[in-house]
Amino acid sequence: MRDVAIVSFAQSGSLVDIAASETQMLLPVINAAVERSGIARADIGFTCSGSADYLAGTPFAFVANLEAVGAWPPISESHVDMDGAWALYEAWVRLQHGDVDVALAFSSGISSRSDLREVLCLQNDPYYLMPLWADHISLAALQARALIDAGLATEGDFAEVVARSRRSASTNPFAQLSGDVTVESLLAEPYTAAPLRAADCPPITDGAAAVILVAGDLAREVCERPAWIRGIDHRSEAHYPGLRDLTRAGSARLAGEQAGVGTAPVEVAELSACFSHEELLLSTALGLGDDTEVNPSGGSLASNPMMVSGLIRIGEAFRQINENGRHRTLGHAASGPCLQQNLVCVLEGDS
Amino acid sequence: MTDPAKTEDEGGPIRFMPQLISLDYTVRTNPVAEAFGAALADGRITGHQCPNCHLVYAPPKGFCPICTIETTAEHEVPVADTGMVTSWTVLTPIQYTGQRERHDYALASILLEGADGTVGQQRLLEIPLDEIRLGLKVAAVWAPPNQREADDRGYGLGTAVDGWRPTGEPDAPAADYREHTL
Amino acid sequence: MAERCAIVGIGQTHHRKVRDDVSLAGLLREAGQRALDDAEMTWRDIDAVVIGTAPDSFEGVMMPELYLADALGCAGKPIMRVHTAGSVGGSTAIVAAHLVQSGVRKRVLTIAFEKQSEGDTTWGLSGGRSGGVGAGGYFAPHIRAYISRSGAPEYVGWMVAVKDRLNALKNPYAHLKVPDITLEMVRDSPMVWEPVRRLESCPASDGACAMVLTDEAGGDRSPHKPAWIHGTAIRSELGQFPGRDPVNPKGGQDCAADVFKQAGITDPRREVDVIEMYVPFSWYEPMWLENLGFAEQGGGWKLTEDGVTEIGGDLPVNCSGGVLSSNPIGASGMLRFAEAAMQVRGQAGEHQVDGARTALGHAYGGASQFFAMWIVRDTKP
Repeated sequence: MRDVAIVSFAQSGSLVDIAASETQMLLPVINAAVERSGIARADIGFTCSGSADYLAGTPFAFVANLEAVGAWPPISESHVDMDGAWALYEAWVRLQHGDVDVALAFSSGISSRSDLREVLCLQNDPYYLMPLWADHISLAALQARALIDAGLATEGDFAEVVARSRRSASTNPFAQLSGDVTVESLLAEPYTAAPLRAADCPPITDGAAAVILVAGDLAREVCERPAWIRGIDHRSEAHYPGLRDLTRAGSARLAGEQAGVGTAPVEVAELSACFSHEELLLSTALGLGDDTEVNPSGGSLASNPMMVSGLIRIGEAFRQINENGRHRTLGHAASGPCLQQNLVCVLEGDS
Repeated sequence: MTDPAKTEDEGGPIRFMPQLISLDYTVRTNPVAEAFGAALADGRITGHQCPNCHLVYAPPKGFCPICTIETTAEHEVPVADTGMVTSWTVLTPIQYTGQRERHDYALASILLEGADGTVGQQRLLEIPLDEIRLGLKVAAVWAPPNQREADDRGYGLGTAVDGWRPTGEPDAPAADYREHTL
Repeated sequence: MAERCAIVGIGQTHHRKVRDDVSLAGLLREAGQRALDDAEMTWRDIDAVVIGTAPDSFEGVMMPELYLADALGCAGKPIMRVHTAGSVGGSTAIVAAHLVQSGVRKRVLTIAFEKQSEGDTTWGLSGGRSGGVGAGGYFAPHIRAYISRSGAPEYVGWMVAVKDRLNALKNPYAHLKVPDITLEMVRDSPMVWEPVRRLESCPASDGACAMVLTDEAGGDRSPHKPAWIHGTAIRSELGQFPGRDPVNPKGGQDCAADVFKQAGITDPRREVDVIEMYVPFSWYEPMWLENLGFAEQGGGWKLTEDGVTEIGGDLPVNCSGGVLSSNPIGASGMLRFAEAAMQVRGQAGEHQVDGARTALGHAYGGASQFFAMWIVRDTKP
């Protein structure tokens, strides 16, 4: 594989109930990512974006976002109706051809204008599951319950994940929820969907993020500490929760293996664990031990712009190398009910 | 959407069961569209002029998509409520759920004086459908002041203008509209 | 150097107004199974799946790759979903090709689909708001501008409509079949979006299209003659800005120039044997012939008028019947790409162009602002 590195990352931060249009929200973020890369916009050879029409409630919502990229003269560009992490994956694939050296991946999502517990029901099988209106929080609660029933976790474990997320988020200016909360106070809160409480579930966040990818030596020229993509893979598993062993994140394990997570120690893992119990599932699936710091940004429990959260995780993993001098990190993205689909990206700095 | 009654009448197995899905979305008018709407309520059309390429966008977007730089109230410029037809079509409305149009009508792209881009899908009034032509000079027919609402997305002129009527001036030459099909 | 990519399996559904005999997943599997059968492979042989479809609101399923994962054998596999408006079928094939050309995957199944009967497309296009003009209402002004600029006689639009519908009679999968179609019938059909008449417009279809793409070794082992990809290109441009020309968009010009360059084509009019292009309204045939460089400005309609674009002509366009005969929106672009590949594989049956060795697949979308194209040949690049 051709060496490809992330050299620049920008994010909007946690916007809450934003009034601006998605395009207006995106424009300064893309500009910042391009500016930080030190690469001229005209030198970007491939652009890929991620978003979801159903969040915007408008078909072809992504078309307007093209206005934030500067698509004139015409650019080589594609779009996935998925989290921006998959846009980054497509950009990485494109850079493997050898004829293009610079790519831009970005994504955006406004989660605050619809009821996600309604809208995300439409991700389910339209014939047999959707009519039940089983929402994503209820399905997540079933998975959390499965973990407890199998003796793999307790509600206290969930609360500890939340407390650590909030604590870590205190140093992340882009987080939405942060601060010191005790496990006891969390456990005293009422259930949202038992065994999950409100704090076990992600906040409603609007936001955008952008990443610049560069191949080969050019990455070292433009960036003092590029983060090289050493492995990236994504996997799905069966859609029906009933067909799966909910106590395991099987497709996360597979993606992690394919991305080579276990071949060397991981210093920092940024996981798209939107629900507290998902972090436990993912840490196990990816084989992360006590020597791995998980979600120093606070993760998706502290800020969760839909369609952007996964790309931000990879961006945060990049920052750990680029700004904090770490050597090996990983970013993870997920999609669908009960962690159906997972993407793992392993990054390394120059040693 | 298949008519449920029809599948039952055929006496065969039911192939379709209509399931109407209703989702609620909050509509937020973005700040740029809101300022534009306030001007419309006042009977004025405004645009943003890009400080870099100097093109005037009406309605304003809050940025120049070509230069990818943000524009704000300080880049606001007035635009006339007169212009010319640069393209049009006559529609026979398809009666989908929620459609309110019942009869053939004309929609045009209109290049306003003082703007560089056209405003799309504008209703043409006071002219027989077969007399519409490229370069036709038109003026806005404003809705009553209390009915002028901007589009929340900042597209078009919302409900501020009922449509456009011919001014009677001579048509613009082809060179004036050829590059403004949109 | 990128890996060579071969098309070793192609399948499509019978496109109909309503395919109520299959579910959404069943529709994709019908096309997918045919492509696998053609490649003499099973679902297990596939490394990754790439699906494409137009807006989710057309069927009411958000991010359908999640629901479809089971039916497409994706438990434990990668699946992704592309969405680039009307060009999506073409872009999806290109994303799949890139997975192979990059060396990341060896055997990729790609499927594009639309089941228009399970939703309300015109409602979907308007986002539930009144006053939605549909695609025809949007494109009609561009068509008018083309007619005004080129001075083309109005019967050129009727000619394309007749030609593509006659071609569809030779395609067992085509949706709209009008055996007795004549210029007069098109002329006398109702005006829907002036100057577009009903019979100059595409139908609404349920349908899917699938292809199996492999690396060079896979192409060498292919049980049937493969098609080889000689170039892929995509371009996007802003939908609306002062001075933009939607009649002859620069994105389409650039995309064509790029794909021809990759394939070493310097004189497309002579070197391309057959074209499958995205023509949802009849006038787009002459418009795109000019935009892609097959005719000079204002001269595209003369190729149509002279019969050059008929199956017996020297630059046949849309031998399958095209989008005018079958329009499962999300799949329409991939059908163009697949039909181009079928021609160079000699697999097109009654609508086969004799000796076709170089073919162009073309798709466009949005406000004539998204373009996807590929060049396929019967020989390796």
